[in-house]
Amino acid sequence: MQVEVEAADLTTTSVFVVRGGARREGGDARIYSITQQDAPHSTDVIIAQRRRLGVQAEAKPDRKVRALPEAKGKKEIVLFDAAPPVREEASVRGSIAGESVPEVKRESSGLDLRVLLKKSSKRILAVLSNLPLAIGEMFTIATLMALATVIDQGEPPDFYFQKYSEDNSFWGFLNWKWVLYLGFDHMFTSPIFLGMLVLLAASLMACTYTTQIPMVKVAKRWSFMHSTEAIRKQEYSDSLSHASIRDLGVILMGAGYEVFLSGPALYAFKGLAGRFAPIGVHLAMLLIMAGATLTAAGSFRGSVTVPQGLNFVVGDVLEPTGFLSRPTKFFNTEVHVNKFSIDYHESGEVSQFHSDLSLFNVDGKELIRKAISVNDPLRYGGITIYQTDWDFSALQVSKDGEGPFNLAMAPLQINGDKKLYGTFLPIGETESSNVKGISMLARDLQSIVLYDQEGKFAGVRRPNSKLPIDINGTRIVIEDAIGSTGLDLKIDPGVPIVYTGFGALMLTTCISFLSHSQIWALQDGTTVVVGGKTNRAKLEFPEEMNGLLNEVPELVGINDAMDL
Amino acid sequence: MFIIFATLEQILTHISFSIISIVIMIHLINFSVYENQRIHNLSVKGMIATFFSITGFLIIRWISSGHFPLSNLYESLIFLSWSFSIIHMIPYFLNQKNYFSTITTPSVILTQGFSTSVLSNDMHQSAILVPALQSQWLMMHVSMMLLSYTALLCGSLLSIALLVITFRKNSGFFINMNKNNNKKKNHFRNLHKYQLIQHLDYWSYRVISLGFTSLTIGILSGALWANETWGSYWNWDPKETWAFITWTIFAIYLHIRKNTKCQGQSTNTAFVASIGFILIWVCYFGINLLGIGFHSYGSFPLIHH
Repeated sequence: MQVEVEAADLTTTSVFVVRGGARREGGDARIYSITQQDAPHSTDVIIAQRRRLGVQAEAKPDRKVRALPEAKGKKEIVLFDAAPPVREEASVRGSIAGESVPEVKRESSGLDLRVLLKKSSKRILAVLSNLPLAIGEMFTIATLMALATVIDQGEPPDFYFQKYSEDNSFWGFLNWKWVLYLGFDHMFTSPIFLGMLVLLAASLMACTYTTQIPMVKVAKRWSFMHSTEAIRKQEYSDSLSHASIRDLGVILMGAGYEVFLSGPALYAFKGLAGRFAPIGVHLAMLLIMAGATLTAAGSFRGSVTVPQGLNFVVGDVLEPTGFLSRPTKFFNTEVHVNKFSIDYHESGEVSQFHSDLSLFNVDGKELIRKAISVNDPLRYGGITIYQTDWDFSALQVSKDGEGPFNLAMAPLQINGDKKLYGTFLPIGETESSNVKGISMLARDLQSIVLYDQEGKFAGVRRPNSKLPIDINGTRIVIEDAIGSTGLDLKIDPGVPIVYTGFGALMLTTCISFLSHSQIWALQDGTTVVVGGKTNRAKLEFPEEMNGLLNEVPELVGINDAMDL
Repeated sequence: MFIIFATLEQILTHISFSIISIVIMIHLINFSVYENQRIHNLSVKGMIATFFSITGFLIIRWISSGHFPLSNLYESLIFLSWSFSIIHMIPYFLNQKNYFSTITTPSVILTQGFSTSVLSNDMHQSAILVPALQSQWLMMHVSMMLLSYTALLCGSLLSIALLVITFRKNSGFFINMNKNNNKKKNHFRNLHKYQLIQHLDYWSYRVISLGFTSLTIGILSGALWANETWGSYWNWDPKETWAFITWTIFAIYLHIRKNTKCQGQSTNTAFVASIGFILIWVCYFGINLLGIGFHSYGSFPLIHH
């Protein structure tokens, strides 16, 4: 009882925070001085007069430890002061905690290169973690990206001479000189854009190091409040008459709060992860940037068009993308296109492309076989093979029962989705200068349009129907239409890192939506004083609290509460 | 069978459109003439009915076309108005009074009206999925993107409202409320205005953070999908780039807002959010209007070819 009175006495002039996390035995009272910028959320901790501190430090710590059974170990007083300079902070800490003086001396006398370096790096950190700078960087990156969608990318220089000529300059100033000099014709690989990204990454790191991690240290330090004044100062506060703090604790627990009770004091919190998640967001961003760098510098890419039934070697197709690209042992793998086919809807539109691929090693042993399609690539040994395109390779035709002959199809028009292929089957005198024959045109592998020697329309045949067509006495059967599959290959060592970053980013942005709510309560006679605050859901929080406090039962007998 | 589905779709769009018109009338009456609790409750019920009829429309589309109903512009606009009605419903489930309904109801009617009357009948037809769209990611990516657009549009509209209220010296609405412009009432007016601005600021922040979260998930799921289809998780395609620009602007918004301690600076954040409003429209509509890049699935056919 006597101890409690002492504690109450102390709280009238200064309030302390008992660190419950520290459960080390023994030790002396240590005073931390935390500057304002280190701890932006300083309201939960308490201002103590420095004069008062001396008294605290002199008081016997062991007795005070026993005063609060929950906090067995060290008692630590957290002092928030009006941002003293770093040097002073160190000396204050040294003298009060009774640490050795030489350490302070060394720090003050050290004017050597190391200190200078340390100072300059600190200054750089401070500049980089400056929020307006980071916002400026983000804004610049956004502007550059917008510009990149306005200016056509990757065209030859002549294109820019004409489009952004000096008399007809775009927005008055953006002529071809600027476009080419600043590299805006290839924005996403231009030094300006990449430099901004690097700067942003540096800012992210600096901000995480100087602002976010200290913030976590403060947030992790959960604490009791022993004065009703301090609790009433919170963003939300209320008092319940004829109530027990234990009932409140149980109700808060039911609402998902972590509840800590110590005598008459209660501390509860919820959504602490929401406080940490922004760090995770920054780290995930850095991870994605690192992975993307590896992708850009260490990948192999290539595309190939292979007729059905032929093969190619992976290493012949792949081209390195950067200085970190290293060939793997799977480069001599041979890919064989067993079959290429296109599925069509009833209306004639393409439904899906399929390529049946087999991979063989040098010894001719089949490693894997898979039918790939768009949205379903083949992955083996770090190599990914995508179905991306198609081509008409050849037409198998028999003439008057002879054959079949393979006629190569020539692309007549390749314009996006509207492709047109054609071939020619000579009839009669093939040696003469005026060769005549049958022309065959096709837009896809489904149907072939035939024209006779005079160029007149003769008919349409489907390749698999085997239905003959008679053109001026020549009997033609379209046996088969052979397609080529268009494949994209890549080896991208950055993908696992980027995917990890993606997962982390999705998770942490979701968690960032959580609001970190803290509640303090103190049993003051039969009244429970409750106060709380939250960092995001500031308008929902009072309503939630009112709802929870309404559930707290009212005690009939005053003695019940005194039993506590 | 197809005719039945088509008729059902027609009926449902007409029902939702009529109900939403009535709801808007109720809002106008409530706002300008007099406040009646019974009529207000009616408007709440009307919104729920709208929500269910749009849901019914989407489900019928899903069944009749056999794929998730987000394959063209028309369907995506209907989905957008459906998301607006979801955003509208959330506060009722949370029992929170706020200003969403004034934003969401006109948004629902605008998107619906645009999709049914401006777009031609051909564009109403459910399209066959091109090979690249035949993936489970379609559902995840497109629905997340549209949900995020909806939330971000709501939030930025609230911010625009905040800007309008802050910078209009003598709004007619407030003058009506106190005809005798004495000092005491002036004080009340300022207090009311201050509270309104604070609420708008807070709710736009909450909705934008929700939208930002779903935008992140939407962009990342799109990146995962692209790595299955196009051969790379990021291609700097115009739509991707603009989604990233939008993401960056709202990241700026969240950072600025986190660091403005005093409420007086809410106009700064609101300004950033209103830039975001324009960017979303560029990203959602502008890119499709131009029909450039890989994302030209939902383009206007006349312009595209």
